[in-house]
Amino acid sequence: MSAAPSHRRRFLIGLTLAALVAVFLGAALLAAARAGESRERSERRSVVTLLALAQLIERAGGEAPAAEEPSYGLGEELPPTREEGMGIGDELAAIEAGTDQVSEDPGEAVRRAVAAFADAHPEVKAVRVVVFEGIRLEASTNPEDKAPRRLEREEKPLYDLGQKLRAAVAGNREGLEGAARAEEVAVERLPGGWLRLSAPVEEAGEVTGMVQMDADPAEVRAVFPWVPALLAWLAPVVLLVLLSFVLGERRALLAAVSIVLLLASLLAFAAWSRKELEAERRATAQAIAEAVKQEGTRAEALLAELGLPAGPLAPELWDANLYREPLGLIRTGGVVDEGRLGELVGADAGRLTRSVVALSLIALALLAFVGWGWAARTGAALVEHRFAYAYTLPAMFGMLFLAVFPFLYSVILSFTNANIYNTDQSVFETWVGLDNFVDILTDFDVAQRTPEGVVWNYQNFYWTLGFTVVWTISNVTVGVTLGLLLALALNTRGLALRPFYRVVLILPWALPTYITALVFRGMFHKQFGVINQILQIFGAEPLAWFDSPLTSFLAVLTTNGWLSFPFMMVVSLGALQSIPADLYEAARVDGATSWQQFRAITLPSLRPALVPAIILSVIWTFNQFIVIYLVSAGEPGRATEILVTQSYKIAFEQYRYGYAAAYAMVIFVILLGYGTWQNRVTKATEAIA
Amino acid sequence: MKRGQLPHWPLHLFILMMVVVTLYPVLFVITIAFSGGQTLSIADVPQDPTLRDRLRAILPWPETVSNENFRSLFADQPYARWLLNSVVISLATTAIGVFLASTAAYAFSRFRFPGRRAGLMMFLVSQMFPATLMLIPLYILIVQVLGLESSYIGLVLMYVQTAIPLCVWMMKGYFDTIPKELEESALIDGASQATIFFRIVLPLAKPAVAVTALFSFMTAWNEFVQAATFMNKEQMYTAPVGLRFFVSGFSEQWGYFAAGSIIAAIPVVVLFLFLQKYLVSGLTAGAVKG
Repeated sequence: MSAAPSHRRRFLIGLTLAALVAVFLGAALLAAARAGESRERSERRSVVTLLALAQLIERAGGEAPAAEEPSYGLGEELPPTREEGMGIGDELAAIEAGTDQVSEDPGEAVRRAVAAFADAHPEVKAVRVVVFEGIRLEASTNPEDKAPRRLEREEKPLYDLGQKLRAAVAGNREGLEGAARAEEVAVERLPGGWLRLSAPVEEAGEVTGMVQMDADPAEVRAVFPWVPALLAWLAPVVLLVLLSFVLGERRALLAAVSIVLLLASLLAFAAWSRKELEAERRATAQAIAEAVKQEGTRAEALLAELGLPAGPLAPELWDANLYREPLGLIRTGGVVDEGRLGELVGADAGRLTRSVVALSLIALALLAFVGWGWAARTGAALVEHRFAYAYTLPAMFGMLFLAVFPFLYSVILSFTNANIYNTDQSVFETWVGLDNFVDILTDFDVAQRTPEGVVWNYQNFYWTLGFTVVWTISNVTVGVTLGLLLALALNTRGLALRPFYRVVLILPWALPTYITALVFRGMFHKQFGVINQILQIFGAEPLAWFDSPLTSFLAVLTTNGWLSFPFMMVVSLGALQSIPADLYEAARVDGATSWQQFRAITLPSLRPALVPAIILSVIWTFNQFIVIYLVSAGEPGRATEILVTQSYKIAFEQYRYGYAAAYAMVIFVILLGYGTWQNRVTKATEAIA
Repeated sequence: MKRGQLPHWPLHLFILMMVVVTLYPVLFVITIAFSGGQTLSIADVPQDPTLRDRLRAILPWPETVSNENFRSLFADQPYARWLLNSVVISLATTAIGVFLASTAAYAFSRFRFPGRRAGLMMFLVSQMFPATLMLIPLYILIVQVLGLESSYIGLVLMYVQTAIPLCVWMMKGYFDTIPKELEESALIDGASQATIFFRIVLPLAKPAVAVTALFSFMTAWNEFVQAATFMNKEQMYTAPVGLRFFVSGFSEQWGYFAAGSIIAAIPVVVLFLFLQKYLVSGLTAGAVKG
């Protein structure tokens, strides 16, 4: 530290580090984007094949006018097909012969279509067709499947998947406003890298079956761009080394030059990345166009070969997303739509720009950190206190990943509308700003006046807040009163059975809370609960405890009162026993009455122990999740929900993570406010004591 | 001495009333557990009950004493597996939590370094932020990002996060009471920092380590909410989640619940009665320091 620091060296190290981090992070992002693109390309190609197959089966199964054959969803009156290996001429003749020829098995056409399709597609295996009606495996390319037959019990997942797709199609057709759309094509990655794709098979607008196939994705492994990355990293460093001979130790100049070099290299790398991405996009478009064209011709050939109605196919619609919506990249005839491709490339460029900005900021921060000597100072502190940091490191590391980072994540989450349906979207896409907080805090619709009286809105934040406050105050009051009274009684000198009482009365604290809560839930049962039995002894009617907010509140209050008084009792008893006996003796000598002794000696001595205990117990009760969650479960209609249970239910029953995180933030602010306030109060009492 | 004092019998009356209120739910659970049945009522109440029938229905003594519920709990129900899950998770949490906390607490107690106050505050504030609220980000991170749903590791990570702050504060309090001179003389004798910590300080702090370990074990053993959220496979339930499972849904098996509760509660109740004086002093001290 004593020697004059070399600015040159610092900026050189700073630039090296900053460029290294930014360039290699950028290169990793690029490699990931390329890998994603390659995966998407192969998946889309497989989807084209799948939809071609589905259409072929639909043609084979249901294009002919519907007939009265309820037991077979797919294979209705088919063009007569008698033997395999019929020439096309024969087929045409057969079609011309008309419908008077009844086929032996209506599913036969589907099986033949599947077999022919599998012959034409060596990259596809395990094609299976499931028909819902009769729960049949209609066709399979695996001879061991012995199709057609009824599905077996172990194959239920296959049938369920088909039903899921059917429900998805039906739901999406209804197109409810705001309803989450469901995927109509299922893609599953098999262990060997193969893709298992499933699509619904429709007939007259109704999903009657499902087709499944395994496809070899033949992905190209994206390579890490080593050469450009190394170039973008080392070029500015070498330049700075050369320039530093001219610049000497002039700090400002060194900083400016470093920044310029760093940004120039990052921008150059970004420009190159952009070109790479565009090329990748183009390659994808070409590959898809190729696939569409190929599948189109293959399908036509197959239709002709099988003698199926050869109506116009629309292969360009086969390039679709998992909702079976055409992506619009391929125009009729298998030509790439340049406009659409341009849009995609533009979107890539937008994402790239955002990444570059973020990486530049990181790099500049790093450069400043090292270049300006903050790093050196931090390093010196680290070395000086190395033992302390080494000892705290494991715990700090754990807390950083398990408490600090999740907390910050939760803060970010509270500004989004993240929910279970959009977990794959980034924070930027789900960002809603302060909407959640505005929703929670400005909704004053707590009560409504109706002719029948006031109707409370139990979902409202302020109702829950009010209930939580009432809950906390009444519980702490009950706990302190009972605890204090018992402590005073137990502290009586010469009281018999004292140790026995003490052990028994502490039991509720010792028992696991969840057990207590579940037991009380049982005891408050309307029909079989012991508490109603006791009521009936006194001639009262059994009460449905959880049907009205007041009785429900009484039930949870009883439960929590039962389990919380021992803490107050133990604390008070400890404080009472620490009061020296001669204080009372002296008071008695002075002629003080019992009441005066209690006021002047007992109460003030209890204060230093009771105040922290009450503070603690307020926080505990405010967060007493288990009692509410297990005893009343918020019944009736969420009236007895407290803030923490409400936020839990929003997150894990409604799956609105963003909204729940905002709710949690509000609770945290309330607790923080209470914490600061109690801190001041404790300091004040300490000063008095 | 006796003059001016209240007679004892009203006190006994009051305390005895509280003793009955306290013991009744406990006896109730024991009754159900040994009844051999799965119902919630102690005795069947006939259509037109007499006072005798009514009283029988609230007397906490089973109509027929049987250990069938305990036998069946292990023979027919996966309760042994759930207990094993609880033991594994609680032990892992204790081991990791106490190790991480003891080193950190030592540093916080002995060294003055930049970031010390911030670190201590972090432990305190993280304790104030209720675990239920940390569930949301941790659920997304551990389950959806790391894919650790229904696994030991995922739940242990959650528990360690709640255990560390309490352990650090408890251990630091104890380290503060160990005189520094011992270490200084060892340092002069040429002992390294690691030797001092592992050979001198840690053995001296054995009681504190034991108490801290027992507390983190009990906390993990009794935890319900996080376990219920993370463990979705029946095979991976911990004992609390499994007990809740018995009495939720359509078939309410109160007999299994009561028997299982007794098994799950006895060790912690014994430990608690043994340790509660440490807990009280630790908790109130922490609150004042805050």
